[in-house]
Amino acid sequence: MADVTFTVNGKSLQAPAGTLLIDACKRSGIEIPAFCYYEGLALQAACRMCLVEVEKAPKLLAGCTLPVAEGMVVHTESPAVVKARKTTLEFLLTNHPLDCPVCDKGGECELQDMVFRYGAGESRFTEIKHHVDEKQWSPVVYFDAPRCILCYRCVRICDEGLGVKALGVTNRGAYAEITPNKGDHLECDECGSCIDICPVGALTSGIYRYQTRPWEMEHVGTICTHCSNGCKTTLGVKNDQIIRGNNRDRSGINGEFLCVKGRYAFDFVGHAERLQSPLMRVDGKLVEVSWSKALAHVAQKFSEIKAAGGKFGVIGSEHTTNEENFYLQKFARQGLGTPHIDHRRSGDVPALLDAVSGKSGALATTADLYNAKAVLIIGSDLSQQHPFLAYQIRSDARHHQAKIFTVTEGPVREDKVAAKKVRAAAGEQLAAVMGLAEDLRAAGDLVVVFGDSIQGSAVGELVSFIDSLGVPAKYVCLVDYANSRGALDMGLAPHLGPGYHAAAQTGMSLSEMLADATLDALWVVGSNPLKSAKLASEKAFVVVQELFLTETAQRADVVLPAASAYEKSGTVTNVCGEAQRLRKAVSVMGAKADLDIFGLLARGMRLDLGQAAPDKVFEEIRTSVHGYNVPLPVIATGGAAMTAPVNGRLPAAAQPPAIQSARDSLFTSGSLGRYSKVLKTVLEAPGGLYKP
Amino acid sequence: MASKLGTVISSATEIAKGLGITLREMMQPALTEDYPDVAPSFQERYRGKHVLRRDENGLEKCVGCFLCAAACPVECIYIEAAENTELVRISGGERYAKVYNIDYSRCIFCGYCVEACPTDAITHGHGFELASYDVSTLIQRKEMMLEAAKPGAKAPVIAPVAAGGHH
Repeated sequence: MADVTFTVNGKSLQAPAGTLLIDACKRSGIEIPAFCYYEGLALQAACRMCLVEVEKAPKLLAGCTLPVAEGMVVHTESPAVVKARKTTLEFLLTNHPLDCPVCDKGGECELQDMVFRYGAGESRFTEIKHHVDEKQWSPVVYFDAPRCILCYRCVRICDEGLGVKALGVTNRGAYAEITPNKGDHLECDECGSCIDICPVGALTSGIYRYQTRPWEMEHVGTICTHCSNGCKTTLGVKNDQIIRGNNRDRSGINGEFLCVKGRYAFDFVGHAERLQSPLMRVDGKLVEVSWSKALAHVAQKFSEIKAAGGKFGVIGSEHTTNEENFYLQKFARQGLGTPHIDHRRSGDVPALLDAVSGKSGALATTADLYNAKAVLIIGSDLSQQHPFLAYQIRSDARHHQAKIFTVTEGPVREDKVAAKKVRAAAGEQLAAVMGLAEDLRAAGDLVVVFGDSIQGSAVGELVSFIDSLGVPAKYVCLVDYANSRGALDMGLAPHLGPGYHAAAQTGMSLSEMLADATLDALWVVGSNPLKSAKLASEKAFVVVQELFLTETAQRADVVLPAASAYEKSGTVTNVCGEAQRLRKAVSVMGAKADLDIFGLLARGMRLDLGQAAPDKVFEEIRTSVHGYNVPLPVIATGGAAMTAPVNGRLPAAAQPPAIQSARDSLFTSGSLGRYSKVLKTVLEAPGGLYKP
Repeated sequence: MASKLGTVISSATEIAKGLGITLREMMQPALTEDYPDVAPSFQERYRGKHVLRRDENGLEKCVGCFLCAAACPVECIYIEAAENTELVRISGGERYAKVYNIDYSRCIFCGYCVEACPTDAITHGHGFELASYDVSTLIQRKEMMLEAAKPGAKAPVIAPVAAGGHH
């Protein structure tokens, strides 16, 4: 829209017609204080904090709902406005308890800041404050009604942002109170967005509660270790303990969005069953040994098996960093001389890269999901499995009126904002998509998000169908965990090396390794394949690097305790291919980062595989892996850099690999989720809740 | 000659004057104290070793707000806070200080912590005998600074299971 010219505090400003005064002023460095106004959420005009004086208007007007107009003359610091702010704050404090010293919000409270800056300092109210007892709505959400200033931010973020609508307001006037959907408790995503967005201490977190104060913690911005969406979470750390997770600074691709896992499920780090010492099988039993003994034993056995021409199988992880994955495949292929390397695969990324070869910009970023004119979701319950991608799509529909199409087996939350929803079994989803041809063509500028129901040749068919529509399209191939995508990019596949180059020699896939009775050694890094399968080879020398004594670790001859993603540095690549940096938040007793373990083993075996330090290996990745020549400053400052590993047609696999998503819900996260107390306690009926 | 006598007389007068003051002060009560034979007395506002106060119910006044630690210019105060529950009630507020240490090898007795305290929980006592041959003994724990509960005061509730537990 055309610009209009208006005056604020004697300064002439310009902004597109229709811009809200509060936004226009903010862009020009003039602050209009507000509580209920929140960028991205619907307007409320409930708090009256943003009142400004507009010439020729008979009364003060709310700046948060006032669009700028040509010739408008505004005063934001006139005596009438200053007085109105003082009165508003005095009024907000009539029932607000002055318990800042014990309030968790103290120090980062917007009401505290506002009163400090604009408040009167003294109140004329001497009446007894209206008191309501604190309530616990869920294991992670507490509500203290007297502190609430009724800005409705929590109600709006839950309804609009999450699409859950778990909060509403009951009663009227001074007795109005935020109330959860089930009267006395919450049945929701337990994402904690309401706690985060609360400008005061009315909503507090059951995890962080009364443990410390905001200025006492060190804040470490790192990437959530759970699903593949790659949300940035800023961990509050004190005394080598993670106390809370949030992303209030809106750094990272996810802005301030976090789901229950990113915000609370860091507690597996301090779980009592965490391995703290290497274990070695002695007389059939796993016993604790020193690191030097365990490493020397593994190095010696590996050297012996290698010298005897034995068969190694190497299984990588979907949680370890790019550096670790790259070093591991180098260790396997160059160090051990085995082609048998794989990891559990949850999405057919190679098929997608093959199908879009020759196209530029065919891979969507998380930002593209927010900006696309249309999004097609195939075969995934995004709100459960990829909460941030679902949030982006929901925001796209809300802010940009994007057309959403869902082609899924059962009902999903995205149906609520969908232009069309289609139910189809996994095998029939491609045909169902083709039935939407007219709608998709009309919608234009498309992002296609597909899960494991589209794999192998179906991916190529999908891409050529979308091509035939003649609309620009980008793709996201869904994968499960924090670095599932990075594991493929770094070449943890039997037929593909780093950057999807053909491997010199094609090896066995994961299932073939497990089924091979002649396997001499199996090296499993951060994965639990024996949870659902048996190891055929009884003689195999099994080495497992894990956080916990999983089913696979119980079969091991040597278990090496590994550090989690919150305890090491490196980079990970999310589902869309955006590489981001992990920052070490805490140290734990006993465990070593997987990369350090690789380095020590390489030294023990006298292999020259280069220095096993994250920055050194990352430099090697940048220079040698196709598509990973990402700008260092972006990574170093905590930004997300899109990788583009599209590299012409890909070599075909010997036989189609087994690809299946673990179908984690919002409240599970593979073997990590099993050791998170929070994820287990927030669920009242596992799997039974939060269905649309 | 006369001038010499005058000098003697004026000198003697000055000496007598000076000694007169000495004599007068000898009659006044002494300002110095016989420490360590006699316990010293302090001005009420003397800033000595800290005392953590209790309220009229015998609960600790400290609510673990960390403001003293924030105000401390030498960062000598270390606190770990925890939540009061039905089983464990230590302070009057929702939160209490599970750990409260002051490092007297760093404390400069400036009194900022006392000024910052919103509940008057931390005060300066008159304790001053803090010298030690071992620096590690200069870190004082909450138990060493907490005032004794008044006789008859209701004791804090500490259930045996929950006490001392971490998380």
